[in-house]
Amino acid sequence: MASSIVAFELGDREVEVVVRPLTTLQSVLRNQVGAMATKEGCRQGGCGSCTVLVDGEPMLSCLLPVEDVAGRRVTSVESITPPEGLHPIQEAFVEGNAFQCGYCTPGMVMVAKALLDHEPDPTHEMIAEALIGNVCRCTGYQPIIAAIGAAAGALQGSKRAPER
Amino acid sequence: MTVSDYFLPRSLPEALDLIGTHGPELLVMAGGTVAMPLINDGLSLPRAVMGLRRTGLDRVAQLDGWLHVGATATLTQLQEQRAVPLLSEAASATASWSVRNMGTVGGNLFTPPPGGDIAVALLALDTNVTLAGPKGERTLPLADFFTGFMTTSLTDDELVTALSVPLPSGSTAYTKFGRKQGNTPAVVTVAVRLTWDADRIVDARIALGAVGPHPIRARAAERGLLGTTLDPDARAAAATAATAECEPFTDAIATDWYRRRMVGVVVARTLEKLAAGATREDR
Amino acid sequence: MSPNLTVVGQSVDRSDRIGHVTGRTQFTADRTFPGMLHLRMVRSPVHHARINGIDMSAAERVPGFVRALTAADVPHNRYTILSLIGVEPEEEFVLAEERVRFKGEAIVAIVAETEAAALEAVARVRLDLEELPAVFDVEEALLPDAPIVTHWGNNTFMYEGHPCRRVRLGDVDAAFAQADHIVEGVYNTSPIEQAPIETTGCIAVPEANGRYTVYTNTQALYFSLDNTAIILQLPGNRLHFLGGTVGGGFGGKVDVIVEPIATLAAMKTNRPVRFVYSRSEEMQVSSTRSAWRIYVRDGVMNDGRIIARKVTSYADSGAYSRQTPYSLTKHAANVAGPYAIPNVSIDAYCVYTNRQPSSAMRGFGVTMGSFAIEVQMDKIAEVVGVDPWTIRFLNAYRNGDTRPHRKLAEDATLIETMQAAAALVGHDLPDAFRSMTSAPRGDSETGGR
Repeated sequence: MASSIVAFELGDREVEVVVRPLTTLQSVLRNQVGAMATKEGCRQGGCGSCTVLVDGEPMLSCLLPVEDVAGRRVTSVESITPPEGLHPIQEAFVEGNAFQCGYCTPGMVMVAKALLDHEPDPTHEMIAEALIGNVCRCTGYQPIIAAIGAAAGALQGSKRAPER
Repeated sequence: MTVSDYFLPRSLPEALDLIGTHGPELLVMAGGTVAMPLINDGLSLPRAVMGLRRTGLDRVAQLDGWLHVGATATLTQLQEQRAVPLLSEAASATASWSVRNMGTVGGNLFTPPPGGDIAVALLALDTNVTLAGPKGERTLPLADFFTGFMTTSLTDDELVTALSVPLPSGSTAYTKFGRKQGNTPAVVTVAVRLTWDADRIVDARIALGAVGPHPIRARAAERGLLGTTLDPDARAAAATAATAECEPFTDAIATDWYRRRMVGVVVARTLEKLAAGATREDR
Repeated sequence: MSPNLTVVGQSVDRSDRIGHVTGRTQFTADRTFPGMLHLRMVRSPVHHARINGIDMSAAERVPGFVRALTAADVPHNRYTILSLIGVEPEEEFVLAEERVRFKGEAIVAIVAETEAAALEAVARVRLDLEELPAVFDVEEALLPDAPIVTHWGNNTFMYEGHPCRRVRLGDVDAAFAQADHIVEGVYNTSPIEQAPIETTGCIAVPEANGRYTVYTNTQALYFSLDNTAIILQLPGNRLHFLGGTVGGGFGGKVDVIVEPIATLAAMKTNRPVRFVYSRSEEMQVSSTRSAWRIYVRDGVMNDGRIIARKVTSYADSGAYSRQTPYSLTKHAANVAGPYAIPNVSIDAYCVYTNRQPSSAMRGFGVTMGSFAIEVQMDKIAEVVGVDPWTIRFLNAYRNGDTRPHRKLAEDATLIETMQAAAALVGHDLPDAFRSMTSAPRGDSETGGR
């Protein structure tokens, strides 16, 4: 069983890991790189709590062999958190109380990041559609959708009341 | 599972070589959305796995009156193409944004029932599937590709490389009925394509998903529509015929009883969309 | 309001807000330890069987296999969540002994160097099982020829020698004879899985001083510690249980199910052991809200007063009772509803079947009873020819009313709550209902209550 070396970008740094064949990106992030923000909820691709961005597109790290992201740019919640303060999306989640237990939050934040990078002014429906692969068992989703709407407003530099 | 080898070939010949070397023991996956859950849970214990993401089989291109979709094109790529609205619709109704970024069109032919919602749309479009093996390429109608429950005419040494859809795709409509509004397995999926001569139907395709061992054509229902104007009686007759033709099964999503009841309803709704003028191209 | 208040009436930031949005909140499994081992469980593939043999030879040959634990390895192989507060009997096992009673019951704990090796070793354990007849319906389980799930010969939990929880007030049979209408209904509910996004799990770590630190997402930290102590026959001061942020529980993490075996594995290997449920285990093995079948028979007068209520309820406890007997007690105490009914008879059974054990979930015992009687109230309203508000105001309980379990009602608020609800939705109540209160009834109102 031959291990291999896989190198990829994680946020603004280079990561190099030695992995057994078919180790998932989720496992690498959590067990080897110490990046625990990416969660593990099902390992079936059904809950979205393991969502990361690969070259800016949302993917489920639990289904992604790390070999497949060699040479590519991976973005996790750690990558978008500034050294001081919070990213506007994170700020909007805090302002809007858009979480309860917090376990689905990293996945929600990453989908929000991808959505707002693609579509800076999404409607309520677009936000709900983007989040369809992320399950929350606590909030009922409305505060999360509202927070993402508010974040869109903040990122565009204008204040906008959260949609309900 | 302790995997000894994970291969990521850079070309089709390299992929075929690996199949030749390792045989049917080699687990082939494209997007990983079906294989990885089984591996993660220890339900699948392969020794050797091959991923197809780097083989370059992901091109989507229009050429000579056909839309050629590479087998490893993602569902997102399918969603974004504009040449065949039915396929864009089918992709939008499948899974979630992240899964669409990973799951492939070719892989969708093999998703366990009631998966294969893209395959239902492809079936309604007279799609051809191209297979490649050590002896070369062959192309056959998708309708002949499915041979039984979870079985196809793909041989052990072949790979699906492309799906080709004749253009224009005509007057189409798609309905996926699940227990949730989105990101849900199908109770029933219906894809319809009609060809018109003035106000009469001259050709019809009705493809059904999750109500048989694989996506099926409701051929009696199709024949019944010919020569009609898609009036309410014609639509009701087609719904009845489709109900009789399907072979629904029971799983955790729905019982066979419920699927059989819903086939007629969903066929009727889909035909209604067409009668109301959704996606109509005249040629 | 006093100007010195800094919390009451203010918007207060949650202390965990930054952690949650940055992903820095440390959930139980957000930890690794050098030399950590992974535990995966061999589970029964069938609903009911005798275990004739377990062959681990193939599993032991899987590279990375470290250790297998069976019933013989568990110092006190009885798993009874509430044993500390005297709840008996001891009927469930940490690891199965001669029989398995539900599909998914734990038989062998496999510990390995990696998750993958553990999964492979689990797949290679060979079980020699002799299948037994199984029962999946609460009423079928009470028939004379039903397969028996328990070890004491019948399929009900025994409450001080009785097969059900019983509540009696007045004489329902005499009242039924006097009633103008008899309204009956049977109400069925399905098991419901709590499905938190974070699955049940723990990591047990041996410390240099002979103690074990167990990081766990249990909702019941002291239950977990004490049960682990009992099962492992360790003094409590050898255990250090660390909880923290739980990624959703809803009752699904009160069963103390992963800590004892993980800690035992840590004891036997002298290495940290991680045992986190897969999503399949969380859905198909971990306990759910019980399924219920509730029969309600009401005697009602023409004016809508309910003069008798007879309820026979069956909760599907599954193969083991866990928290369900407690659920039945709550159910029996509450299922007559927030109504003043002078004649009440309740028989509430905790029934064993070969289904997945049920246990706690948000309001367990009471929420399903509420569903049954509120649908029943609407039915009564239809029969009698009044609207749903009327039937409830007419029968609403007040402070000082004798409840079916003989205690006097205190802090009754059904009337006020309905008035507030009506105002909220813009429903005009008749004056008689608008002026009602939960104050104790005057003598002139006693009329049979």
